[in-house]
Amino acid sequence: MSSIRFDAVHKAFGALTVLRSLDLDIPDRTFLALLGPSGCGKTTALRMLAGLEMPTAGRLLIGDRDVTRLQPRDRDIAMVFQSYALYPQMTVAENIGYPLWIRKVPDAERRAKIAEVATTLEIETLLERRPKQLSGGQRQRVALARAIVRNPAAFLMDEPLSNLDARLRLSMRGEIKRLCQSLGAKTLYVTHDQAEALTMADLIAVMNGGALQQLASPAGIYERPANRFVATFVGNPPMNVLPATVTEAGLSVAGTPIALPEDRLAECRRYQVTEIGLRPEDAHVVAQGTPGALAGAIFVVEPMGNETLVDVRVEGGRLTVRAERGFSANPGDRVGIAFDPANACFFDPMGKTVVHRV
Amino acid sequence: MQGAGLDLALPYLMLAPALLVVFAVLVYPLWEGLKASTKLYRYGRVIADVGFDNYVRLWSDPQFLNALSVTATFVTLAVALETVLGFALALFCAREFAGIRLLRTILIIPMVITPVVVAILFRLIYASDAGMFTAISLALGGGEVQILGDPVKAFIGLVALDVWEWTPLMFLIILAGLQSLPQEPFEAARVDGADAWRSFVDLTLPMMRPVLSIAVVLRTIDAFGTFDQVFVLTRGGPGESTKLLSIYGYDTAFKFQMTGYAAALFVTLGLIMLALALLAIRFIQKGTEE
Repeated sequence: MSSIRFDAVHKAFGALTVLRSLDLDIPDRTFLALLGPSGCGKTTALRMLAGLEMPTAGRLLIGDRDVTRLQPRDRDIAMVFQSYALYPQMTVAENIGYPLWIRKVPDAERRAKIAEVATTLEIETLLERRPKQLSGGQRQRVALARAIVRNPAAFLMDEPLSNLDARLRLSMRGEIKRLCQSLGAKTLYVTHDQAEALTMADLIAVMNGGALQQLASPAGIYERPANRFVATFVGNPPMNVLPATVTEAGLSVAGTPIALPEDRLAECRRYQVTEIGLRPEDAHVVAQGTPGALAGAIFVVEPMGNETLVDVRVEGGRLTVRAERGFSANPGDRVGIAFDPANACFFDPMGKTVVHRV
Repeated sequence: MQGAGLDLALPYLMLAPALLVVFAVLVYPLWEGLKASTKLYRYGRVIADVGFDNYVRLWSDPQFLNALSVTATFVTLAVALETVLGFALALFCAREFAGIRLLRTILIIPMVITPVVVAILFRLIYASDAGMFTAISLALGGGEVQILGDPVKAFIGLVALDVWEWTPLMFLIILAGLQSLPQEPFEAARVDGADAWRSFVDLTLPMMRPVLSIAVVLRTIDAFGTFDQVFVLTRGGPGESTKLLSIYGYDTAFKFQMTGYAAALFVTLGLIMLALALLAIRFIQKGTEE
């Protein structure tokens, strides 16, 4: 089995630390998404695994081979670049066949393999063209074809969809997922787009500020975010976070007492909870004055077609609520926000999630 | 109406001085040169109209044919060496390391020295009495080294001078080309399995083709017109071993006063360079279309 392991990998460019001690274990046949905002170190992590950057400290293992000091060509990996990085003066067929050609695979075998992957990616009619004569989506397919033409130990993809337009991105998302599933190879996929990570990956590693925040399944990331960063980075619109106060009397949010079962309340007290997190779909707009609902005023209403996003200003902050498609209200209207506290999570002063949703 | 007339004339009025200058220093001399190339002169006066006779005579003139062959050999050798050396230096200097800026600056110094000064320096270096080679030879217990007195060595010495002076230009153009290449394909090639040599042959060379062609063309055209260095270094000697077309043409015009014949020679040289340039442009366009 060829699992991939980052063992205390540290990377600094001069005085700038981009990755501090990353530990990551990726089992075989897993599609792992490295998710994070720009500058979080995700691309650097990928490039180090590819061998394009050298870690400042730590070890990289593919299977039980220590590849930390190996040249990229000796690591048995394939990579898809954000800019596609096709060879401009070669034809599509030559581009796809290059990894085989360089490995001195016999001509007949190489041609057969090129034809095979070209068919898989539906670019068999483009083989004689040059990259310049292709559209962005076609270039993307050629780059993918070049990666899958051999059977590497791992596929590395660096934001492969970010240069495509929105519609193409959606369809390629599904195609890449299917492709990776059918190849059964392990894939490391770097993205800043949480939708890509949630829809494609088996496992998501959320990164921020050069550190791993959480490694979990997409559902785990969404339902049980490890901290405030993960909670607000994943989800569209993101999780609402409001100040919460815990006293002997109980929990109160935006000046409204919230009824909480005794055991959860005890947890909140023990960890000195200061904030509550609530997904937009777990809150509802109700009539003003409904018992247990937060009092607020409509800030803005955004119809999305299939649903309506309602921004409501409450004491201590703002929160976004998903409402049904026909919802309408005027800015300034007084409303109530109702929610089931069982769906809420709570953060301690350090931003760590100390009480998860039930 | 008067205003409209002025509006129409204004662009031409404003262009007129520039056009006059161009006409005076380019068109008129060129026309006079072409006219002269069809005449026979004696003591600075036209004595006969000979049509294309001067041009025809060139091709049975052994001295012209020799000068043509010397020039072709010189240009080929010098430009080839300059390209290879310039490319090698550019590859070396395209990377970033301590002192690289200083090195790049030092490398282009020869280019900015006046050609005549370079030639004088090389004449001193090659001198058989006080030159560098003689000094080294004497220190090692040998005798004087004749360079400019020996046909083959003088020619090699001339090529060496040109290489020393113009490799920096090649270096500069090629370095600029290398630094403007996209980096990702090279990273992709590393991942795909290419070593340094393969990525040079499969990526760098093809991607550099347009830049290389332009550099070679510029240098070739320039080398065909080389005059001052030879004039100072050898005046075409010993014998006719370094007699380039430009030197032969100069001799014909000013030593032998054969104005018409010299004009025909230079027009021919100009046509050769024009043909080379057109050929090269075609080659470049083909290269970039791909």
